[in-house]
Amino acid sequence: MSHALATGAASTRRRRIARFSAPYLFVAVPLVYMTVVVFYPAAREVWLSFTNTKLSRPNGGHFVGTDNYARIFGSDLLWTSLLTTVLYVLGVVAGCLVLGTLAALAVDRPFRGRALVRGVLAFGWAVPGVATALAWSWIFNSQTGVLNRITGALGLGTHDWLSNQELALPSVIAATVWQYTPFVMLVVLAALQSVPPEVREASHVDGADALSRFRAVTLPHILPAIRLVALLLVVWSMRLFEIIYLLTGGGPLNRTSTLVVSLELQAFENYDLGGAATYGVVGLVISLAVTVVYFVVERRSTHGV
Amino acid sequence: MPSITFENVSKSFRDTQVITSFDAQIEDGEFVVLLGPSGCGKSTLLRMIAGLTDITSGTMRFDGEVVNEWEVAERRLAFVFQSYALYPHMTVRANIAFPLVMAAFKRWYHVPVVNSIARRTLMRSPEISERTARIATALELDQLLDRRPVQLSGGQRQRVALARALVRDPAIYLLDEPLSNLDAKLRTQMRAQITGLHREVGRTFVYVTHDQVEAMTMATRIIVMDHGAIQQIGTPDEIYRSPANTFVARFVGAPPMNLLPIGDEASGVRRADLATHVPGLALPDGDDLLLGIRPEKLRFHDDASGPLSATVVAVERLGSETLVGFHLDTAEDRPRTLAPETPHYAKVPADQPVTVGESCSLSFAAADVVWFDRETTRRLDPALV
Amino acid sequence: MASSTEVIVSEDVAAPSTGAPAAARGSRRGRSRLKLASRYVVVLVMMGLAGFPVYWMLNTALATNAELYAGTQSWWPHFEDLGSLFHQLGRVPLWRWLGNSAFIAMGTTVLSLVLGSLAGYALSRFRFRGKGPIGFLLFITQVLPEALILVPLYALFISLGLLNNLWGLVLADAGFSLPVATFILKTAMDRIPHEIEESAQLDGCPRISALTMIILPIIAPSIAAAAVLSFFAGWNEYLYANTFLSDQGHWPASVGLASFIGQNETPMSAIMGSALVFTIPAIVFFLLVQRKIVAGLTVGAVKG
Repeated sequence: MSHALATGAASTRRRRIARFSAPYLFVAVPLVYMTVVVFYPAAREVWLSFTNTKLSRPNGGHFVGTDNYARIFGSDLLWTSLLTTVLYVLGVVAGCLVLGTLAALAVDRPFRGRALVRGVLAFGWAVPGVATALAWSWIFNSQTGVLNRITGALGLGTHDWLSNQELALPSVIAATVWQYTPFVMLVVLAALQSVPPEVREASHVDGADALSRFRAVTLPHILPAIRLVALLLVVWSMRLFEIIYLLTGGGPLNRTSTLVVSLELQAFENYDLGGAATYGVVGLVISLAVTVVYFVVERRSTHGV
Repeated sequence: MPSITFENVSKSFRDTQVITSFDAQIEDGEFVVLLGPSGCGKSTLLRMIAGLTDITSGTMRFDGEVVNEWEVAERRLAFVFQSYALYPHMTVRANIAFPLVMAAFKRWYHVPVVNSIARRTLMRSPEISERTARIATALELDQLLDRRPVQLSGGQRQRVALARALVRDPAIYLLDEPLSNLDAKLRTQMRAQITGLHREVGRTFVYVTHDQVEAMTMATRIIVMDHGAIQQIGTPDEIYRSPANTFVARFVGAPPMNLLPIGDEASGVRRADLATHVPGLALPDGDDLLLGIRPEKLRFHDDASGPLSATVVAVERLGSETLVGFHLDTAEDRPRTLAPETPHYAKVPADQPVTVGESCSLSFAAADVVWFDRETTRRLDPALV
Repeated sequence: MASSTEVIVSEDVAAPSTGAPAAARGSRRGRSRLKLASRYVVVLVMMGLAGFPVYWMLNTALATNAELYAGTQSWWPHFEDLGSLFHQLGRVPLWRWLGNSAFIAMGTTVLSLVLGSLAGYALSRFRFRGKGPIGFLLFITQVLPEALILVPLYALFISLGLLNNLWGLVLADAGFSLPVATFILKTAMDRIPHEIEESAQLDGCPRISALTMIILPIIAPSIAAAAVLSFFAGWNEYLYANTFLSDQGHWPASVGLASFIGQNETPMSAIMGSALVFTIPAIVFFLLVQRKIVAGLTVGAVKG
């Protein structure tokens, strides 16, 4: 009797443990893996920003407190880089949002050949980054590029698109906008298609014209999607590397060197891992701040009113 | 062959008490129906038997053994969901065979990829394919074995769900409103089929429904629930004839039992009148009484010869009989009935001429009366009357 | 804004009541025709902008070297030169690169799907302590630049002997496609009614088999979407590949193609031809599953 009770208690405990641990069993391997290849390296990089680690001895740095931050914040490069990042992000976000929303509105209603049009409009998203960079660097080519042929024919003159100090950043932004506009289009399109048809019809009956109808009915409906996509664009363009690096390498004179590109240059051209990490941490802090602001605003707009 | 025992079983989700101290015993081989309005906790109770929902406090036993912590699979029971929960990507054949395949699985067969191969191989094994085919034939699913659930009608899906429950020969069958998604005609047909099935397999059935007709026609015993608590346990006959309280009286039967307010002087039907007009009627003490009487036990008079004078407010001709809705001509009946909008009902023969607005009277036999205390809503024990 | 709407409403209501309904209808039809025309112009311009770089890749791939260097490239592709393009492509180790890319892409896909379905299942089906933080951590990967992780990961790979190793690159690449795959799969699993899985439990099916034999087959379309996304994350990835694979024999096409930039030996038509071959599978597959991926990315972000 007592024996039976004891085994009963033991099996009860075993069942409880099994039930409690089930979700952790499923999540354990993915989590360990993510920790090894993403979270640990990221944390390590934050640590590196407080050390004087050099590329020649990646494991041989010493803790130097906030020396790197003092040094980097004291240099012009960080401020140029920050300014470049801000301009780049603003350019990319504004360009993508405007063009992407326009494209979504253009293909929202069914028409003959819409699937084809939507497919072509989504090209930028599907083309690999390296191929995008190759295509645009050929288009921007100062001697034989097609852009100069066009601007030349239009009487706008020919330019060194990627090596002119004034034009390099706008050119890189243009290529990035080409790459990310389709994503905005697809998200906004999904939001548009979820506008209930009754709502649209009701506004038709009221006789509102297209623009005021858009502002009164459609826009409020797709605004949450646009806010979300704006957040993703900010966060992604903060970390974008290959398109900039392959088009300009951060030049000319660091005019296209965003924080992420500066990180790379600092690490692999100045062999200064500690300093490089500092750029990364600055970028990360900004991205996280934007994300937090987004979620706070989002929460207020859904819970308030 | 288990019996199921509930001892003070309770369930709460966060702050909401869903089941309050449930005490009951379900014997082996019974067909027990848990009957109650939606939200009364009956489905939760069924899920607790299956182990799909945890018990907050109290004890549940199968054959005396505490099973509170048992895993779902250990309980070896079959569950038919309201939504049928068929596997949409499998054929009817694979759906029915699935429990058998799982029973034949060795532990290591569950390794991903191996499991799919093992499932396909086992399905072709003679025992499993024969058993599947036999059940399919019994439920007239032979022609549908290679279809997928989306290609089936509601009734066919329902039969597949039943087949999947039957195939493994479990000791307990749990059915959660299995007929609620079917049309009326099919429901009648399936009712008979499920009752036949119970008789055939002789296992314990626990069946949840909010439909009192299903409960009355199928159950060997009914547990009536409301607000997470048992209102009455009894055979369909007991439940119908002597409901434990006004809730059961009103919930079972269509139209429900009439509850007529009885009081002194001007307030209701006068006690004195009843005592003189209904021979053998024993009136309980107290002022706050409800006289319960089934519509079919009332006799209708188109003159004032009965003890209860009333006015006809509704006439529903059903063909075989006619339902007459009425209000008593007492000061109290109109403003103070339990449900002022609904009239009382009497069942009268179809050839009885009745018109709305006419004055009439009703009589009844003393033996058909059930008394309730209006305060507590409980039935008054006839022995004390 | 409210007042402007009001004005327009009153105008439109007034139009039919002027007693010339036919005229009003006519002008409205004219206006809608104009609107349609302007819509078509917008669509055409946007298609031109969106399609041009890809068109120009094709055009360049099929142009002769002479016209490319003279800057007199034809506006139309010489499709008759397709044969010489293939000849040119033979001068580039393209097929080897593409083979490496495919290996990396497939490895990334398998790893992301296997781990993503485990994590997605846990996030979709259980309530447990730490679920919120785990979802948040997965979302944070959208914020983390690969460049930030590069150096510590490089150091880690040195000690693990994973440099110059395609398997190592798979491990690195899946780190960023796994979270997105997880969100896509979780979203799909959330839509499966719990009864189906409870039914499996009652039939004696443990969770691991319920996941692999019941849940995953049901969400096959979303798995396809997650697979395409992970595949091309691996296929397209450049930064890690460029850093971790110094041996040219291990280069995937992204690194190989990037090595053409600023180098003058390879003819531009061969470069663009290679880029096009590299691009076409991505275009085809991405367009097939674009909607599912959008859903996964945005839901992931919202739930983060």
